[in-house]
Amino acid sequence: MSALSSAVRPLGPTASRLGRRHAWTAAVVVFFALLLTWNSSQTRNFGAFEIQTLLASTLALAYLAMAQAVVVIGGGIDLSVGSLLVLANCLSARFMEGTSFGGSALVAVAVLAVIAALGALTGLVISVSKIPDIIVTLATSFVWGGAALFVLRTPGGGAAPEFQTLVLGSGNAWWPALLCLLAPLLLVWAPLRRSRAGIAIYALGSSKDAAFLSGVDPLRTKVIAYAVSGLLCGLAGIATTAFTGGGSSQSTIAMNATLNSVAAIVLGGVALSGGVGGLIGPVFAVWCLYLIPNIMLGLGVDPSYGEVVKGVVVVLVVLVGGQLRLRRSRSP
Amino acid sequence: MTDVKEEAIRDEGAAPEAGLVARIAAGDRSTLALIGVLVTLVLADGLIDRSFLSLSQLRNTLLVTAPLALLAGGQTLCMLTGGIDLSVAMTATAAAYVTGVQSSEGPVTAILAGLLVGVAVGLVNGLAIGIFRVNPLIMTLGMSGILTGLLTVGSQTFLGGATRMSDLVLELGGGTIVGPIPWNLVVWLLLGGALVVGLRRTGLGRMIYAIGDNRVACRLAGVRVWQVETAVYTMCALLAAVAGILIGGRSGSVDLQLAGSYLLPSVAAAVIGGTSILGGIGGYTGTILGALILAVLDTMLNLLSVDEALKQVLYGSIILVLAWVYARGTASA
Repeated sequence: MSALSSAVRPLGPTASRLGRRHAWTAAVVVFFALLLTWNSSQTRNFGAFEIQTLLASTLALAYLAMAQAVVVIGGGIDLSVGSLLVLANCLSARFMEGTSFGGSALVAVAVLAVIAALGALTGLVISVSKIPDIIVTLATSFVWGGAALFVLRTPGGGAAPEFQTLVLGSGNAWWPALLCLLAPLLLVWAPLRRSRAGIAIYALGSSKDAAFLSGVDPLRTKVIAYAVSGLLCGLAGIATTAFTGGGSSQSTIAMNATLNSVAAIVLGGVALSGGVGGLIGPVFAVWCLYLIPNIMLGLGVDPSYGEVVKGVVVVLVVLVGGQLRLRRSRSP
Repeated sequence: MTDVKEEAIRDEGAAPEAGLVARIAAGDRSTLALIGVLVTLVLADGLIDRSFLSLSQLRNTLLVTAPLALLAGGQTLCMLTGGIDLSVAMTATAAAYVTGVQSSEGPVTAILAGLLVGVAVGLVNGLAIGIFRVNPLIMTLGMSGILTGLLTVGSQTFLGGATRMSDLVLELGGGTIVGPIPWNLVVWLLLGGALVVGLRRTGLGRMIYAIGDNRVACRLAGVRVWQVETAVYTMCALLAAVAGILIGGRSGSVDLQLAGSYLLPSVAAAVIGGTSILGGIGGYTGTILGALILAVLDTMLNLLSVDEALKQVLYGSIILVLAWVYARGTASA
């Protein structure tokens, strides 16, 4: 959509176009800032330690939201991101156990390659079979979940402590987790978005037929989108291993993670119809969803109500956002 | 694209008049293929373990199938309009939980309270989706989270107390009428029959297909789309509530994980049965076959004492293969 709107309105003032394009992300950032201020006013000595906790405990879900966002921008939906996270978590926890720092890093690279390949395979199956994305990924979510059980039957495994510190930081050091989060954004997504393949992903999500008629190869684009998504799922799995210091193949983890990733991208301004949004908004949305139960705890409300509030917030945001989009598309 | 449209037109033209038998006679390839898969699975089960073909095992299979088929029935309705309901599992759990807590008030009050939970959830879903145009995936996902939170808190406060099901619910969920016929089969047959007839013969049924096929055209033709959608999501949640009460009756007591494992199979059963997630194509007879296939498959994997890991891999692969075969079948038809 963003690529198209600049082509349609070449004469429009740049500032308003920028504002319109990034309005949603800006709103999410402001919402996050408000929540953070609120939360910090509840805690005495709010500082680096709390920021480190926020970044470290949301790192996996932030990666996963980015993974879901790439696929949804490309006009699909991936119900298997949670299972891929669990598979990457189990693989890395099993093979990192007892290794040195170098060994853990090697395992991490291998796991990323495997999970990205599985993602690409999913994209290939969707393109070749012409079955809707939601069905294929529903089926593969069982397959990857089963594979994770093969790798790690009971919760266990481990990782080199130095590796965990490198990924998440510790104590007051909040910047390692932030760097890890920014790495795929800067190294993978930023170049991709400006490349032919990245624009093709947006085009395919906007209108499949129009993209095809303009010479976009749907198969290639789908495979690239799902491979990038798989890579991010792999990162999410490794971040989980680093955070928990082990692996677990429980199917409820996968399911909750998938559902949370969908909630996060929708809050973050990625339209489920495809072709709209970016990866920054979903990350801020994940942070917002993390802060809500914390704030409720600070207010003395049972944090279990956090789930209720999260659900209401997601629905309301989609409701209001949808109405705004509808109105905007009607006005000339 | 044209294939899909033609298929829809053909389906809509033929489906209302033809019953299951007539459709098989007319050579509906996908229904035939599904029956073939089901028969093969049953025979394979029989070969693996002769006791599978016994009456008691048949009763067990039916006992497992009925709640799944009810949940998948609701899912089929939503998918026919081009939507999806990801809150069915939590709705079922919530209904069963309320029924369990209220069972001290007498079985009828308890069941009514449970069904009321379903209606309330469905109305909220349907109104938000129909009037405020919230994406169904997000609305029902949010609803699932809301119910999870409410139940988690409620189990310690306003819904506290024992969740022992009353005898009537226990009998409905796990009891036997005669021979291999469990009570929950009767519940399923009544509701399932109503679904099959309702989708084929009533105006509402036709409108559900029409909205899934082309929502804008329906609105322009004067269909009150929001009313149909509200009705669909309410019926779906009501079916989920019935299924939840039956599941609770089988297990005796209710916890918050009661129906969670039914969510993905409910979608899978509808998909295997040939209902398109894009709307407008499919029906409940296919979903029944899909639910039976999943139940028999599950029994087979248990008979083979396949471990959980391989079971999940096989389960997923078979869903994928069946969906693929079905996609090819409709493309070439």
